[in-house]
Amino acid sequence: MRKAVAVQEVANAQSAGALPAARFVIAERIRPYLYIAPALLFFAVFFFFPIAYVIYLSFHDWSLLNLEEIEWVGLDNFAALWEDADFRQVLANTFMYTLATVGLGIVIAFFLALWLNRRARVYGLVQAAVFSPHIVSLVSVAMLWMWLMDPQYGLLNALLEFVGLPAYTWLTDTKSALVSLIVVSLWKGVGYNTVVFIAGLQSIPRDIYEAAALDRSPWWRTLVSITVPMLSPTLFFLLVINTISSFQVFDTIYIMTQGGPVNSTNMLVFYIYEQGMDFYNGGIASAASVVLLGMVGLLTLLHFRLMGKRVHYR
Amino acid sequence: MVKKVRVSILACVLTVTAVLAGCSGKQEAAGGQKSGSGSGGQQQTADAGKPVEIDFWYALGGRNGEVIEEMVKQFNDTHKGIVVKPSYQGSYYENHAKVLAAVSAGNQPDVTMVEIASVGAFADAKVLQDLGPYANGEEDKYIPGLMGNSYWNDKLYAVPFNRSTPLLYVNRNKLKAAGLDPDGPKTWEELRRYAKALTKKEGGKTTTYGFSTPIDIWFYEALVFESGGNILSEDGKSVALDNEAGKAPLEFWSSLLQEGVMKAPPGEKYNAWDVAKQDFLNQQVAMIFTSTGDLHALKENATFEVGAAFLPANKRYGVPTGGANLVMLAKSSDEEKKAAWEFIKWMTDTPQTIRWSLETGYMPVTKEAVESDEMKAAYQKEPNFQVAVKQLEYAQPRPMVPGYKELQEVIMTEIQRAVLKQATVDEAIAKVVEKGEKLLKK
Repeated sequence: MRKAVAVQEVANAQSAGALPAARFVIAERIRPYLYIAPALLFFAVFFFFPIAYVIYLSFHDWSLLNLEEIEWVGLDNFAALWEDADFRQVLANTFMYTLATVGLGIVIAFFLALWLNRRARVYGLVQAAVFSPHIVSLVSVAMLWMWLMDPQYGLLNALLEFVGLPAYTWLTDTKSALVSLIVVSLWKGVGYNTVVFIAGLQSIPRDIYEAAALDRSPWWRTLVSITVPMLSPTLFFLLVINTISSFQVFDTIYIMTQGGPVNSTNMLVFYIYEQGMDFYNGGIASAASVVLLGMVGLLTLLHFRLMGKRVHYR
Repeated sequence: MVKKVRVSILACVLTVTAVLAGCSGKQEAAGGQKSGSGSGGQQQTADAGKPVEIDFWYALGGRNGEVIEEMVKQFNDTHKGIVVKPSYQGSYYENHAKVLAAVSAGNQPDVTMVEIASVGAFADAKVLQDLGPYANGEEDKYIPGLMGNSYWNDKLYAVPFNRSTPLLYVNRNKLKAAGLDPDGPKTWEELRRYAKALTKKEGGKTTTYGFSTPIDIWFYEALVFESGGNILSEDGKSVALDNEAGKAPLEFWSSLLQEGVMKAPPGEKYNAWDVAKQDFLNQQVAMIFTSTGDLHALKENATFEVGAAFLPANKRYGVPTGGANLVMLAKSSDEEKKAAWEFIKWMTDTPQTIRWSLETGYMPVTKEAVESDEMKAAYQKEPNFQVAVKQLEYAQPRPMVPGYKELQEVIMTEIQRAVLKQATVDEAIAKVVEKGEKLLKK
């Protein structure tokens, strides 16, 4: 029916003269783009252009100090990164950090959400308490944790000593500094994950649980076969979001460790900052940015490929 | 730690007041003009003209930052046609990064402090204004020993402002109580002996360390000089640390740490310095290395008698100079540059540098100031203030080739690796040399 109308329209248009109709079609085609033009322009200026430009810059030797002297060096910047042992350590640190914060962050939040997904004032209060770190500026959080973790005057070591445990080195040792940053990130991030999980849990229809209860399904079975699959869109969303944000960690490093001691907490974004702003190696910084872009893109793609199929959307 | 908060709050307040002051200054200027034209004095406005506004970025917080603000205010009060707008930009590192970003964005300050080892990197990138035509030989008034980081390719780019040398600070009360010479140790071996004698343990826990120093490039440079060595070769193209002089400092620090008589303060970059100073004030550490620029603050806050001394000698005495110089940026307009030079000249002139030195502990920068009756009287009363100036006899400039900006961070990381026993001294030095070759070729 619709087709017939369309054919009729075309015929009419043809008989009425081709030009206005063609103009009409073009206008129709352009119209949606006009509507999204403001948003598109914004993205083009602040998103697509910088991406293209940083890729262009990554093939050059340049510095922010003197933008006139810019020299094509081909793949030299990437080769330099490849050969740099420090950069390999930076990548290893970034992966360790991401794995730990994303993995633990999701597991802890999941169980917290299961516990807190109840109707009583106490649970609401705990929920608010768990969520509150999310709304505090990361810079203040970093400063606070620096005091807490102070090896001599810090509250954490005072507590450890109070219960008879040996003091921990926290940020002062190469072995514990990364762990300390992971702790801060978990404290800051778990609340958000928990709230998202609770929202997910509450959208699971009750009747499925009632059916499971009628079948006398044990609690763990209900958890594995109903709750987790029904939560998979939430889980997937958190996985992607958390991975991307973990890859971009900067504030805590800048405030708490400056990448030290001995590079043990130096991660990609801080490395980029250091190269670009402290050492004036714009080319290396751009190349590392391209590596970051590639990795985050690849990981997200991987998530979608591997996990996307298993996610159960209703 | 509490003190640090106070300092950072202070810094915030300072920045806010600086911004507010800037705003109110503008309003006043505008208001003044308005009333001028309102009262019919056409000529008056023309004469007063529009004052030249220049931005001045500085990188010292706490009391030292306050002194800078006060000095700028005094300059503005005494110089009609020029309004200097000071703003605090964080540590040297942060200030450098902000200058870099501002230069590429085209909203750079007209005058800024630059840490002396970075003058070369900025000058080499043609960011700085050649001061030669402005100074016209006037630069001869500065102490020659402080001019080593002022020239790049034989041109004058920077003028000494807050200049320092590292000093050994001792808690004289503790040294006296331990039966040691309260003037402090003179050699490395004496430092070791003193540190041992001053370290106190209670039930297996160290309550007082004899000695503490940030494992920082500046002190490493000093110890290398003291061992008869140099950081870079004469031409600045290679690292000169692969020898006894380069390794001795690391072995010295490692052994002190091993013996449990030295504390390596935790924290990165200037955080470690803050910890060392705080420990010293809390009497948990008896001797520290830090800058002469901390003298005034330490003296004010200590509940004991503070002594300052030369850094102990290994083969000889030796220190790098430190601190920051004032520079002018090449992108400013001619009018701004003229005003900027007025300001730089005034800030570093004898009366101002005397005040600056007495209120902070940094060295006076003009020959005239050191010889002045005012300084001499102050030295008589407080001999600690003269130690850095006397030590200048053994001082050298810091390396300032452009590649050193990154190389110094590499050295710092590697010496920390060695001191923390993650690498042997030989491995650490080999890594520095290898990386140095690449960085210095640029």
